[in-house]
Amino acid sequence: MKIHKPATLQEAAGLLAADDSAQCIAGGATLVAMMNSGVVEPSALISLANISGLNEVTKASDGSVIIGAATKHKTVAAFDSFSGAQNIVGIAAGKIAHPPIRNMGTIGGSVAVGDPAADYPTALLAAEATFEIVGPAGSRSIPADEFFDGFLSTALAEAELVQSIQLPAGPENAVAVYDKIAKIDGDIAIMSVAVVMASSGDRCDYLRVAVGGCGPTPYRVAEAEVKFINGDLDVAIELLVAASDPMSDVRGSADYRRKVLPRVLRRALITAQQMGGGE
Amino acid sequence: MSDTLTYDLNVNGEIETITAPAEETLLTVLRERLHLTGAKRGCDQGVCGTCTVLIDGEPVRGCLTIAALCEGVEITTIEGLATPEALDIVQQSFVDTGGIQCGFCSSGMILTVSSILKSNPEAGEAEIREGISGNICRCTGYEKIIDAAVLAAQQINGAAR
Repeated sequence: MKIHKPATLQEAAGLLAADDSAQCIAGGATLVAMMNSGVVEPSALISLANISGLNEVTKASDGSVIIGAATKHKTVAAFDSFSGAQNIVGIAAGKIAHPPIRNMGTIGGSVAVGDPAADYPTALLAAEATFEIVGPAGSRSIPADEFFDGFLSTALAEAELVQSIQLPAGPENAVAVYDKIAKIDGDIAIMSVAVVMASSGDRCDYLRVAVGGCGPTPYRVAEAEVKFINGDLDVAIELLVAASDPMSDVRGSADYRRKVLPRVLRRALITAQQMGGGE
Repeated sequence: MSDTLTYDLNVNGEIETITAPAEETLLTVLRERLHLTGAKRGCDQGVCGTCTVLIDGEPVRGCLTIAALCEGVEITTIEGLATPEALDIVQQSFVDTGGIQCGFCSSGMILTVSSILKSNPEAGEAEIREGISGNICRCTGYEKIIDAAVLAAQQINGAAR
């Protein structure tokens, strides 16, 4: 195995393009665990540590927030300039595993795995994040709902890597609720629900609900969001549950997930309402 | 065939020159090349916390850290906490409260508690519980470990006053 320490993203993409089994490494929290268990045997590690600007969170003048791919979970969880809808991402960051893992793991590393039960993907979907991608052919952006395209799969093509994730400003007055169900605190979620809700007066007029851990990718159901805004909580929940396609795994059976999901959705939506999301 | 790399690590204030295969983790280098066996190999997956060491004062998993990428940071292991004459306050409080049974988790627990109290000397039980939530102990039931951390906090704060 070789170790490369490129100074730019373009250089990193070039190294990825030149070697099929090279892997980028930022925090190492997922990749080195996979190396230790023999799931991956990279021919080279491309360290992103020397690429400037990759480990920062910045607020732009239009209110959007840009999170560099190598930003640690700890930094995102502690960032204090999220507004409204963006808060869902900071809350989810603080729920990832335990403090030492949050000192290591990065947002780019987390999303690139494409695990539907991970915390960031669900939150990023609810925040309507956009992914900035760099590859040998240049840059492109992909919305979160296209980035996660299958179980442990993303829209990243060969030799592409995530540069940053942009969170739009969203409604200023939105409240954020992240409801994570896990066997024990800090474990990977059995399921999670991310809710971003805003109101005008006491009526909900904006809702994004993302469900994680209940299908090959985290998902939203636009029709369910409209039903909820129109006052039909029960139908909204039914539509979201109908769209689930849960797996059975060591953390819970598909039946268990189907049984619990409507209850978690109800709790998260009602909590958001009570926090001021509107009725 | 893996590249063999030569690089310098700052471990417990000493610069150590390492020559090792590129993929070796910090845990392997510490235990098998520097013979600092305080950090333990438990799960090798980042779950159990027995391999915890401090990098620039913050707890991380030695088993998930590639050693060759640790140039330029300060690594602290349990061996770097005490002087030959006396245990560190946190170590002594673990001894005094019975926070150590089999000892397998102790290095990671003590380093983690030490880091919590350094960054937040006012840490109470809730902060301590959150801080050590990534370290598994299969003997004590955690109560004596929390007692130890609270005792250490009291002593650090007492000494500061």
